[in-house]
Amino acid sequence: MQKEIKPGVWLIVLPTTQFKTTRINVQFLTPLRRATITKRTLLTSLLETNSKQYPTQAAMAAHLEALYGANFSIGVAREGRLHRIGVTMSTVDDRFTDQPLLPQAVAFLRSVLFAPNFHNDQFDQVTFDREKENLDHYLASLDDDRQTQAALGVQRLYFGVDPDQAIPSFGTREDLAPLTAVDLTDYYHQLMSQDQVMITVLGDVQEQQVEALFADWPLAARSRTMPAIAFDLPPHPEVLTQTKMVVAQQAKFDLAYHVTTDLMGPEYTAALVAEELFGGSSLSLLFTNVREKASLAYYASSMLDAFRGLMLVQTGIEGKAHDQVADLIQQQLAAVVNGEFSDKLLQSIKDGILDHQRAAYDSPRFLTNQALYQLLVPDAPQDFESFARRIQKVDRQAVQKAAAGMQLQATYFLTGEDSE
Amino acid sequence: MKTQYFNDVDENLVTTTLPNGLRLQVVPRQAYHKSYAIMTTDYGAIDTRFAPDGKKMVTYPAGIAHFLEHKLFEKEDHDAFDLFGETGASANAFTSATKTSFLFSATTQLTKNLQILLDFVQEPFFSESSVAKEQGIIGSEIQMYQDDPGWRVYAGLLENLFPNHPAHVDVAGTADSIAQITPEMLYTIHRIFYQPSNMTLVIVGNIDAAEIIDFVADNQAKKHFPAPQPIVRGVEADLQTADIIPYRELKMPVSRPKTLVGFKGQVAIPQTTRGWRYQLTIRLLLEVLFGDSSQLYQNWYDQGLIDDSFDFDFTNQRSFSYGLVGGDTDDPQALSAAIKRVLLHATAQSDLTSERVELIKRASLGKYYAGLNGLNGVANQLSALRFGQAQLFEFPEVLNSIGFDDVKQLISQIFQSDALTVLTMLPEGQS
Repeated sequence: MQKEIKPGVWLIVLPTTQFKTTRINVQFLTPLRRATITKRTLLTSLLETNSKQYPTQAAMAAHLEALYGANFSIGVAREGRLHRIGVTMSTVDDRFTDQPLLPQAVAFLRSVLFAPNFHNDQFDQVTFDREKENLDHYLASLDDDRQTQAALGVQRLYFGVDPDQAIPSFGTREDLAPLTAVDLTDYYHQLMSQDQVMITVLGDVQEQQVEALFADWPLAARSRTMPAIAFDLPPHPEVLTQTKMVVAQQAKFDLAYHVTTDLMGPEYTAALVAEELFGGSSLSLLFTNVREKASLAYYASSMLDAFRGLMLVQTGIEGKAHDQVADLIQQQLAAVVNGEFSDKLLQSIKDGILDHQRAAYDSPRFLTNQALYQLLVPDAPQDFESFARRIQKVDRQAVQKAAAGMQLQATYFLTGEDSE
Repeated sequence: MKTQYFNDVDENLVTTTLPNGLRLQVVPRQAYHKSYAIMTTDYGAIDTRFAPDGKKMVTYPAGIAHFLEHKLFEKEDHDAFDLFGETGASANAFTSATKTSFLFSATTQLTKNLQILLDFVQEPFFSESSVAKEQGIIGSEIQMYQDDPGWRVYAGLLENLFPNHPAHVDVAGTADSIAQITPEMLYTIHRIFYQPSNMTLVIVGNIDAAEIIDFVADNQAKKHFPAPQPIVRGVEADLQTADIIPYRELKMPVSRPKTLVGFKGQVAIPQTTRGWRYQLTIRLLLEVLFGDSSQLYQNWYDQGLIDDSFDFDFTNQRSFSYGLVGGDTDDPQALSAAIKRVLLHATAQSDLTSERVELIKRASLGKYYAGLNGLNGVANQLSALRFGQAQLFEFPEVLNSIGFDDVKQLISQIFQSDALTVLTMLPEGQS
């Protein structure tokens, strides 16, 4: 069932007995803007920490424990040109408990989302200060993980001219520093009244029962227009490069490519198969030749961010092998462009994509995400069979053409000062 | 073949032991699309000392179990990885302190993939040149972990607790130790520790249990295995506290200090239901004391002593066990001292009440049910527990049997000052 319960507020109910839990997911969607990304992240920390009804973390945690250890979390993510806050609550199915948990879970979400821990109509200052500091610590610690540091570095370089895309989906220390409790309170009201809202409930549930549970949620009517999702940065002829020296034993070398895509249409499916063949799968040319055959890297893989027209290659290498690895990566992409792969490998790559997709239907998280994409992308495949048909239709020529369109735009090299 | 239905969890478990000693556990999940199979040997990184002929002890290089795990995929004319890939399946493997596991997941061609799994695990091929090549790949894997501060703190803690037991050795070994590995050593290990009677196979997913068991039985009946030989291990249980290094500091380019307090297990925990219950009781106790619903957590969080990186855990492995508590903090001295105070005066903690024990049992039960959603988790846990004992699906019953007194009684047994250690990591350039 999919129903617009108020203008701009959708409720999707996915009844299934496959799982031992019921998953509730509430998404708040808005166009991606640098000015609000960090605010939204800090807001999720505040809402996750306490509320009017549960003014301390201990009280909130104890209530979740009483609900059989219900899982409750709030996170942020970027999907192309939109930013989303995802609130998830997962409870054990009634057949394993001595009381029905779904009504209590919905009541809990309602209380934390709509009755925050306000004093004098603004966020509690003590909570605000602490969560702001904790978020600052977290953002400062990102560089402790070299893999993350390199991946964020190459994206900053690639999206340099577009501030909304260049920063991480969870914000920056720079944008965090000036925020006040008043700013956050204002933004909270704006978000609650303007963001598009999508609620998904998946589990052994009745549609009418679920609808009744959400009927009195205080969500006002809002714009029904979903923010556009596809982002594309026109490619440029030169390759931007950056090298950063750090104290590390292993170097990281990441590359960003421009990919032409059409949301979930035929160009997208061809790009997906080409990307998997090049570096996404464990059968890929990149994995086989850079890691296994040449023994140059511990990992070397690619991923496709189709909503942003980006293919990212991440490698962990010996610093002195940089040039050799760069050549090898270029050669593997050229091999896909030139059709230097067997029909058998191409079929295995497609079978691997389909195997992953079919297996994903065993994940409550995937199933709720699917529902979101179907709302955001009108052309999204409605079921496994339609997805499979699109993948099987991709032929050798389409793969070569998609690979030929992949243009290297930026490289980021993070290397140890003492690497020879 | 034995089929058990566990009413509390609504799960079926089918088990059997084949004539060659291979133990099978199968959990059918008709509503799922995927199947997941994991083959595990009771042999891991700590098992470097053993008697190949049953009498004379030898010591093999650190990291050899993990090295063998990598090498087993590679055959004379192909790589088993590619065979899985050709069907669209995903394959993987991992080595822990006491186990090595090989696994795949697939949504089609299950029996074909099962055959690939059984064949590549049971038919080794090692050569001088392939061993040499692997040394390069694993060398960079070891390097990569050295750059991970969280991993370094954890490894450092094990070095403090088990300085004379191989539990402290990196699963991957060192560049020097893996350079000493030869094909002959790998064949010897495979012959001793990969005999079917030292292995289990767990299959979970959209399958017919009887059909799958028949298929595996046929595959095994066609293969020839030498007569089973006794496994003589040379690694003793490490339960003493005399050699614990009480405190060490490490330095790395991290943004904030980290500290972990560890405690070493001083009693052997049997791999039985009773032993499993004992471990669950320790985990409950840690959650009661340090969990995010405790007043203690609230106070420390409010004081800025901890943030949500704060964590705790207890691990039991063949021959050693330990617990750890800690996280990121601006003041590692204050945090580690505070944790030690709580451990050594746990009975006086106001959070230690029977109401909280019951609340946390309820939460554990819910988290356990949620964990059964994922096939990988179910199969991994089944293969980690000892076959025929302490079955995963008896969790609700075992948990319910734990009372407040059981939790309290543990305290004096496990939290003793001479069993504690502290490992602190400081940002480089700070003292």
